[in-house]
Amino acid sequence: MVLSQKLHEAFKGTVERITGPRTVSAFKEKGVLSVSEFITAGDNLVSKCPTWSWESGEPSKRKPYLPTEKQYLITRNVPCLRRAASVEEEYEAAGGEVLLDDEDNDGWLATHGKPKEGKSEEDENLPSMENLEISKNKAVKLTPSYFGGDDDEDIPDMADYEDHDNVIESDPATLQPTYLVAHEPDDDNILRTRTYDVSITYDKYYQTPRVWLTGYDESRMLLQPELVLEDVSQDHAHKTVTIEDHPHLPGKHASVHPCRHGAVMKKIIDVLMSRGVEPEVDKYLFLFLKFVASVIPTIEYDYTMDFDLGSSSN
Amino acid sequence: MADQGNRSLLQFAPFQSAVDEGFWHRLSSLKLNKLGIDDSPIPITGFYAPCSHSQVSNHLTLLAESLPDELSEQSTLTVASLGNRNRCSVPGILYNTNTVENFYSLDKMSLLKEEAKKIWEDIHTGKAMEDSSVLSRFLLISFADLKKWTFHYWFAFPALLLDPPATLVDLRPALQYFSTEEAESVSEACNAWRNSSSTADIPFFLISVDANSNATIKNLKDWETCQGDSNKLFFGFYDPCHLPNNPGWPLRNFLALICSRWNLNSVRFLCYRENRGFADLGSSLVGETLIAVSQGWNDRQCVPNAVGWELNKGRKMPRCISLARSMDPTRLAISAA
Repeated sequence: MVLSQKLHEAFKGTVERITGPRTVSAFKEKGVLSVSEFITAGDNLVSKCPTWSWESGEPSKRKPYLPTEKQYLITRNVPCLRRAASVEEEYEAAGGEVLLDDEDNDGWLATHGKPKEGKSEEDENLPSMENLEISKNKAVKLTPSYFGGDDDEDIPDMADYEDHDNVIESDPATLQPTYLVAHEPDDDNILRTRTYDVSITYDKYYQTPRVWLTGYDESRMLLQPELVLEDVSQDHAHKTVTIEDHPHLPGKHASVHPCRHGAVMKKIIDVLMSRGVEPEVDKYLFLFLKFVASVIPTIEYDYTMDFDLGSSSN
Repeated sequence: MADQGNRSLLQFAPFQSAVDEGFWHRLSSLKLNKLGIDDSPIPITGFYAPCSHSQVSNHLTLLAESLPDELSEQSTLTVASLGNRNRCSVPGILYNTNTVENFYSLDKMSLLKEEAKKIWEDIHTGKAMEDSSVLSRFLLISFADLKKWTFHYWFAFPALLLDPPATLVDLRPALQYFSTEEAESVSEACNAWRNSSSTADIPFFLISVDANSNATIKNLKDWETCQGDSNKLFFGFYDPCHLPNNPGWPLRNFLALICSRWNLNSVRFLCYRENRGFADLGSSLVGETLIAVSQGWNDRQCVPNAVGWELNKGRKMPRCISLARSMDPTRLAISAA
């Protein structure tokens, strides 16, 4: 962690301790949420997309300003069939994108092979409102993703412990272990599938929701947060996506940093309003998750968008 | 019986385990602060839900809440952590050994038998009719190496074997099996069952479809009351498996219960699966199976054979996870510096 990030974390923590949570709505003006609006929007998400649910998390980490049983939202076992990193590589190879080589050497990608000039920060964070279509049926690059990495010395060679005494009976009614893999219907390739637990917490400092990712490899072993970054759009890996302590769960998890969330949400809300749609605060998380999908395009969590986003003004 | 040889066996996709990091954190502090060298078995709670995506199965998941809280005497499973449609609770037992040698010398065969016996008893006493989650009872053995922050573990999902095994007559997507009206009514009834907080986490149930294509869902203990009418009856269960040609593991002990209690030879079942949290009859399966167990199989004193130790990448060996990165104080200090 860089020093500036640490200093900021310390500052943020202090501000969070001494200031009260937001109680006045500034949803349309600033794109932020009060605590009660977060609960309203969360309740709506849970009722429309039942794969999401509220949880109370670690008792020692509970936030007093949130109801005990509604500390954060989570959806578990969300498949991630391909690596965002490899999808982008293929796209690029097909001439879809051009690397913008600017002075800062940030390596931003310009889409559709047309480098835009004067691309502002806002533009980059603003998601397209169209559905993100990811080309299918492409070869999938498998990345070794066991938990351990540099901790290998701690993990004994489990093959030494393979059971040779046959305590496990063979049983003809047990389906043999192709069960570890997912089958993609129109593809002969057998895919190994990573899965994610995606959670949404309330960030008191930025007054916005914040998304956290816990990854599992194809045999449901915990992924190191660094490997999670392979499933993050490469524009965002290591920049807007950082690895930090989860506010309600133990361990380090990857998180989409919320510093720009308010501004981005404000932009989305402005776009909707300019189209004559009056956004309602209980739809906030649907808009928010739509935006997050541009950061984690291959993690197939649920954010149904098939209904009106707000009441139309005309 | 002549065509028995041609019929295929009903094959079940094994349950898969998933352990949240929080579980190991709580086990470590429980071991350090409360249990010490006491290695008596600990009752734990696992969670599962019906398959909710056509490409991945659901798992039996352990969370921090799966373990009792070290401070309170009662379990931490309060209203806040129970009765959630995405976390149907399943009782389990944990044998956490003090040494790696003890871990590897545990008699896995007899531990599995012991749990299978509990399931068999619950079927015979009728407890499984009142609380059907006991049918999916599971077993976990572990060794927590708290010096290296490494955890060795092995799950078992005991399944009582039918002898001889059940054979498959028919298995297809529920959408193909039911008429349009029936499918609509079954979907509606299942969604209502899943949305009511009193039934959302009851994983085994009965579906009765009448001549007018109206479906109703009932508790297992209402089986007798369904016998007088001419409705089609299906044995439904939350299926964690996503595969199009196999039912998931929980059906095994359900069939044992059906066979033992009601002595049925032909059983129609529904593998209930969801898409984005709603009933999905395209991926749910309806199957018909024939059971012809040998005489004496249903003897309460004689527990049927059981299988169920989980394979690790297809091999008979335990799993191991190192959490040094998130638990070792020296490493945490270095990464924070």
